[in-house]
Formats: sequence, structure tokens, C-alpha cells
Amino acid sequence: MIRLEDIGFAYPNSTRVLEGLDLLCDEGTRIGIVGANGSGKTTLLHIIMGLLRPTSGTVTLFGRQPSSEADFREARRRMGFVFQDADDQLFCPTVAEDVAFGPRNLGRSAKQAHEMVSRTLDMLGIEHLEKRVTYQLSGGEKRLVALATALAMEPEVLILDEPTAGLSEETSEQLLGILSRHISTSIIVSHDRSFLQRASDEVLLLEKGVLTETGMSEMGTWSRSRPPSPGDPL
Amino acid sequence: MHISEGVLAAPVLAGATVAAGAGLALGLKELRPNRIPRVAVLSSALFVGSLIHIPIGPVSVHLVLNGICGLILGWAAFPSILVALALQAILFQFGGIVVLGANTVILALPAVLIHYLCRGMVRGRSHGVAWVGGFTAGAAAIGLGALLLGGSLTLSGEAFREAAVVAVTANLPVLFIEGLFTAFCVSFLRKVKPEILGTFDTLDHPEERL
Amino acid sequence: MHLEEFAEGHSIWHRMDPRIKILGLFSFAVVAALSNRISVQVFALLTAIVVLMSAGLNERKVASRMAVVNGFVLFLWLFLPFTTGGEPIAQLGWLVLTREGIVLSLSITMKANAIAAATIALLGTSTVFDLVHAMIHLRIPNLLVQLFFFCYRYISVIHLEYTRLRTGMKVRCFTPRSNIHTYRSLAYLMGMLFVRSYDRSERIYQAMVLRGFSGTFWTLDHFHMHRRDWIALVCMSLVILLMVVGQLAGGIP
Repeated sequence: MIRLEDIGFAYPNSTRVLEGLDLLCDEGTRIGIVGANGSGKTTLLHIIMGLLRPTSGTVTLFGRQPSSEADFREARRRMGFVFQDADDQLFCPTVAEDVAFGPRNLGRSAKQAHEMVSRTLDMLGIEHLEKRVTYQLSGGEKRLVALATALAMEPEVLILDEPTAGLSEETSEQLLGILSRHISTSIIVSHDRSFLQRASDEVLLLEKGVLTETGMSEMGTWSRSRPPSPGDPL
Repeated sequence: MHISEGVLAAPVLAGATVAAGAGLALGLKELRPNRIPRVAVLSSALFVGSLIHIPIGPVSVHLVLNGICGLILGWAAFPSILVALALQAILFQFGGIVVLGANTVILALPAVLIHYLCRGMVRGRSHGVAWVGGFTAGAAAIGLGALLLGGSLTLSGEAFREAAVVAVTANLPVLFIEGLFTAFCVSFLRKVKPEILGTFDTLDHPEERL
Repeated sequence: MHLEEFAEGHSIWHRMDPRIKILGLFSFAVVAALSNRISVQVFALLTAIVVLMSAGLNERKVASRMAVVNGFVLFLWLFLPFTTGGEPIAQLGWLVLTREGIVLSLSITMKANAIAAATIALLGTSTVFDLVHAMIHLRIPNLLVQLFFFCYRYISVIHLEYTRLRTGMKVRCFTPRSNIHTYRSLAYLMGMLFVRSYDRSERIYQAMVLRGFSGTFWTLDHFHMHRRDWIALVCMSLVILLMVVGQLAGGIP
């Protein structure tokens, strides 16, 4: 579905952030990516979404290599993206309007969009927020609404940037429940290892511009490469 | 809607500068220290808003936003618009220093007029009436501004009349777009933070006077 | 957003005391705008071009700014040569081209370009912060200077919020078109910027009060006029005096 090969990226007048990075996300895989602050996690997601263009390497989305903004626009219809900061995503007066915005952009009628809103809010268990003013919601509620705005577009793959930053334990659990019930293909970037272990099938480490396997997987057990040794991070 | 330097005749420039000065004095007189950051940051937002391209058919236009500016700021629209235009003149060479007065009057006078004309509708109980009030504010502010622009050109010389007519006519589609834009903006503010529209001129309550 | 595109550099204009630049530009612009003699306008344009060239700015950026200035001027060229009464010099169908029309259009073109070029060279080569500082020294009303400063200060902050929200709309497949959905969405975006600005201004005011702000801006450091600044002041005064004399004296039109 999503394939990155030998991706390099540098911001103008700055050091290289990504260098020879490969990533493959097939249908039905849930990938988690950990990395320190400034390791390029958000940059990587922005490259997938076509918000940034890599300085080298190839991006393949759904079997095509998008080259123009129009190509990416096509691909974005199938990818749901949730920003780290929900305030970057929510701009409508009410929750219902914000969730309906994506479906309207995909050409749905007002009635269809309204159905999508109810269905999505039900699915996330936040139907009581429908008529609320988005700006006045709590941080956790905004995060769930931001997720709803992406899910209402019925994406084939969900991409989340630091979904647990600033969330209470309770909301984190709620989010985890939603992801495990409804999402089969996802790429999640976070510094929260324990969350990633539970939300993804395989956790990769972004360091020095490349992704490497951490060997961590669901339930925190060690898979593949080698048995755990005492010095390993949990 | 900017007039460039060197176009207007001296008497028009002088008259407009005096008018802008008067409006500015009135606007500044109302400005308590606690409102300075508010007017300033809202002016920054208006400045950013005026950079948004809005498509109309095959072309795109910049928003002027003097309607919503007047609704929110009242007389403070004069200093707000003057400051934004001065920044545009210095940073982008839109308009200019000598025509600053004229350009300010063209945008700010309609803003203040529609403030008194439309605030009742916009602050009322009915969302529908408020929407219409917002549309009227946005459209009328552009319409009046275009007329002032055309008028100041025509006053500068007989030869400008045809150019003035075309400039005013060219603003008609913009008038419609600004009306819609302002109407939706008003309905947003009413739902999300009505005090931006409602209590702005009552902010100078005695207890708030420092 | 980078607003001060020309403020970095080492030309004499970059190093000059901003008070002198403001005074010089203002008098130059007023005299140039009010002049109605071609000779004065030509002189103003040539002076402004020389000044602009000596500022050593990125030529492509300067050219794109000057192109913007000439948009409105070009619009006037479509009308004025034909709508100004006077001595006909050519006939295109029912349109009569007059000598006076050409002169008027040329005169507007020269004035607009002279003032814009001088503005770039004199004001563009200072940071806005230095200009604010100079305005306080020049006794521009304190309230107005504060507004100017805060407005400028928060443009880039709000612009960043704007671009983030626009990116958020883009990943949700928003493409601006000529329809109600577009106008409504952009209006909501603008409304959101207003609301955030309003809340931000509350915080700014509280922070200012906490730091003892009572309504007046004070400046800590002061400008020092160097010898080169005095020379510049004299030169600018001479140029402007020459323009005034040229305008008032008879002889050449």
C-alpha cells in the first residue's frame, strides 16, 4: 500500500533528517515508529502524505508513484491523517461540521455526510459531542474528534502523529480500544513505546535517518531477530 | 483595493489625509490600554486573512475583510486598517505612504458605517437575521469602499472617470464573495465566541476602566 | 513567513539611522507625489533608482515587488491615454490617443515607481523593530506605534497558525473551488483565526500587566547620529530642496 525506498530528506540550510530510509506498509499491517524528538518522525509522515517532497528516493502509494500535487491529492483520499496537535486540524464551529468536512470534500452529499458523522461518532463513542462547539472541548475530546474527522473519510490506512501526547490514561485506553476494534492498517508515530507495542504489529525505530527493527511487537514480547538480553529497553 | 502612489491629485490626497486623521483620533480615543493588544492582534489576523486567495470562476481574489473588521472593532477600525496598510506599504509596497490616508478612508469609513448599520442584526437573537446582517456588512463595506475609490479617482481628474467606473464594476463579484464570507464568519463567531461580536464596545465599562 | 526580505545587508542604507530614513522617505514621497512637472518626476525617478541600486538587494525580489506596483499603473494605462482631453496624436477606431493622456500616464508611472523604489531602499533596509524604535523618537503617537508593533509582531505567529490549519484542510482533501463549501470553509478558518487571536491577546495583556505595563512604550537604548548620518541628512535635504525648487521655479515644464 505504502512503500518508501531510499528516502533522503533535508530541510533547507539544515542537516539531513532522513537518509536512505525504507518503509513498507501492506494492507493489514499496523506499524509503529518510535524515535527521539527531532529524529524526523513527523517529517516522515509528511512525506507519505505529500506535504513534503523527499530530496531523494521514491514514494509509492497504492501502486503508483505520485509526482504532482494532483497525484497526491488522489492518494490522500485513501489515507487518513491525524496531526499531533488537534488544534491544527479542527476549524469548524461544531463537531458535526468538522467531521462532515472531509466527506463533503470527497463529494458526498450533505445527507450522506451527516450519516457519516453519526456513524463515526457512534463508532468512537462520542456521539454526545456532535452539537458541541469544537473550540470549547477538552484536549482529550478534541483528539478524539480529530480522529473522527479522519475516520469519517473511510481511509484505507490511518496515519497518526503522536496520538497519546497530552492524553489522560483513560483516553489513551479509549483510543487503543478504538484502534484495535476498527483499524486494520495503520502507521503510528510516537515516543510512547508501551502504547505502540499494544497498538501495532511491529515497532520500528527511527534513528540517524533510517528505520530499524526493534524486535518489539505486540504485548511487548520479543519476536524475530534475537532473544532479549538484560540491557534491552522494555 | 489599493490606490498606488502618484495617482491622486493633491487636494484629494489632502482631504483624505485630514479625514483619516479625524477617524484615527476618534478610534484612538476609545482605545484603553487593555484593548491595544486585542485590536493589534485582530489586525494581524486581518492582515493574514487578506493574503488568502479566494477563487471566483477562473480567477482568484484577495479578501479585503473591512466589513468584518468594522463589525468587530467599530471606530477602532481606523487605527487597525491604518496600521495594516502601513505595514503593507512598507513590507510589500502595496499602496504607499502618501496615499495611506486615502486608502485608509476607502476601507475604514465603510467599516465604521456598517458597524452602526449592521451590528444590531449581527448581535440579535436570530441566526438567520445575523447571517443576512453579516452578508450585508461584508457586501456593503466593499461596495462603499469601491464607490469611495471610484470617487477619489474621479475627483482627481475628468480623465479618470472611465477607469473609475471599471474599477468599481470589477469589485461587484468581490462584493458578493465578501458578503458570503462575512456572513459565514459571523455565524462562526456567534457559535464559538459571541463576545467578539457582541460586547466589544461595552468593554469600556466603568469597572474595566483602569 | 519572512516579511523583511530586504532588511539584511551591509549597504550604506542598511547602516543608516532609521530616523533619517523615515524623514527622508516621507519628504521625498510627499514632494514627488505632489509634483506636476515632468522634469521633477524624471529627477525623482532617477534618484530613487540610483538609491535602490546602491542598496545591493536581490534583483529578482526587487523586480517582483516593482511588478506589483505597476499592476494598478498598467490598469490606468488602458484608459488615461484615451480618456484625457487634449491634442490628438493618433486614432485607433473610435479611440483617440492624446498627447496629454500619454503625459499623464507617464507622470503617474514615474511617481509611483520613484516612491516605491525609494520605499524599498529606505524603509525595506531597516527591520520593522528599528522603524518602530525610530517612530517613537519621531514623536509618532505612542498608541499608534504600539498597535503597529504588536500587529507586526503577531502576523507571523498567526500566519503559522493559518498555514497549519490550511495543511490540515489539505490532508482532508480540501481544494478551493468557486462554491459555497469553499467560501464557508475559508470563512470558518478565518473565524478560528479571530477567536485564537482574541484569546491570545488576553494572554498578552495579562502578561503585560504582570510586568507593570501601564500604557506607554519606553525605549531603552537610543540612536546615535554618526558622521555619515549627518552627511546623509544633508544630501537628502539637498535632493528634496532641489525637487521643491524645480517644482516651484518656472522654465522647463
